[in-house]
Amino acid sequence: MKLLIFLLLFFSIVAATSAQTSSTVNYGSITGAIGNSQGSISIDYFHLWKLGTAKKIEIGVGGRFTSYFGSNQYYSSAPAALANDVAKTDSILLGSPQVNAINLAVNLGYRLSPKIGLGFNIDALGFTLGSKKNGTYLNGTQGEATSGNPTSFNVLLVGNNDRGTLNSEFYARYFFNEKLAIKIAYQFLFTEYTTDTQIQQAPEANDRFRNKAGLFSLGITKQF
Amino acid sequence: MKKIIFGLLAVLVLACGAEDATPTAPVNDTFDPTKATLLRQGNLTGSNNYKVSGVAQLYNENGKLVLLLDDFSSSNGPDLRVYLSTTSGAASFVNLGKLKSTTGKQSYEIPAGTNLTEFKFVLIWCQQFSSLFGKSETN
Repeated sequence: MKLLIFLLLFFSIVAATSAQTSSTVNYGSITGAIGNSQGSISIDYFHLWKLGTAKKIEIGVGGRFTSYFGSNQYYSSAPAALANDVAKTDSILLGSPQVNAINLAVNLGYRLSPKIGLGFNIDALGFTLGSKKNGTYLNGTQGEATSGNPTSFNVLLVGNNDRGTLNSEFYARYFFNEKLAIKIAYQFLFTEYTTDTQIQQAPEANDRFRNKAGLFSLGITKQF
Repeated sequence: MKKIIFGLLAVLVLACGAEDATPTAPVNDTFDPTKATLLRQGNLTGSNNYKVSGVAQLYNENGKLVLLLDDFSSSNGPDLRVYLSTTSGAASFVNLGKLKSTTGKQSYEIPAGTNLTEFKFVLIWCQQFSSLFGKSETN
């Protein structure tokens, strides 16, 4: 739903302002992000249309590669039917989660001034690679050893129906000149593992577990 | 600009929180073993270069199962838990809670229905880092 709303907004604005759209801009960024015993490195490239009479709105699509690495991270039951009720969630603890995702992404930005831009972007669809990891399944006072792989397919849907590894950023950019900017962002990164068996059995069988990481990030953006 | 970048990096580094260590003040729980039936017991030993000592005793106190760690001492670490396990690792376990202290006499209630013949190992386990500090096989 988020994606649908975003795309509708996107195409509506494009359609409504098509007479005014005469320029585009491309941004590529390298970003490092860090949080509590976890972090990520991402590389993205966006093609944006500059909209509005002042050409301050920048909206478009692109792609992003995200490599996430963590140490001793908890992953909670991912399916919406479980994730929406904390009483129904179990968790797995992974010693060294590491996933690599490539996703199509959308971006909405606003150029406050020639020097400063603000915006938001979010992954929408893609796939994830990564090796099998050992961990511990935790169900209240019970626990047992388990293992799993990163969930292969990523898709942005409504609420907890999201699947796989999806990155998003609220960012601010400061442009040193027309081509180069520093980017400061709050990164919200979902990563997901699928266990080898449906290790959770109640209240329903489940093999998908998600980690939601809030990370502070710093990057360099080049305008093409 | 160098100052700005340095400041941002400092903020990022400080955003990484430190792990909580286990309390070290000695505890002396009021559990009275003379009013309970001893079911199993074993001596605790350290693992992975950690020092753990004491006696692990499993009691039935009027139908309630209790683990007593007596004359207990352990190396300190983050997120230390007391597990009952089917093996000397944490392949399948019951989590009795966070370790109250690295020293002293301490008791832990065992969930009703736990099969003590199956879950016969007592582990001092660092959950956050999946590391065994100490263990006892009870008999």
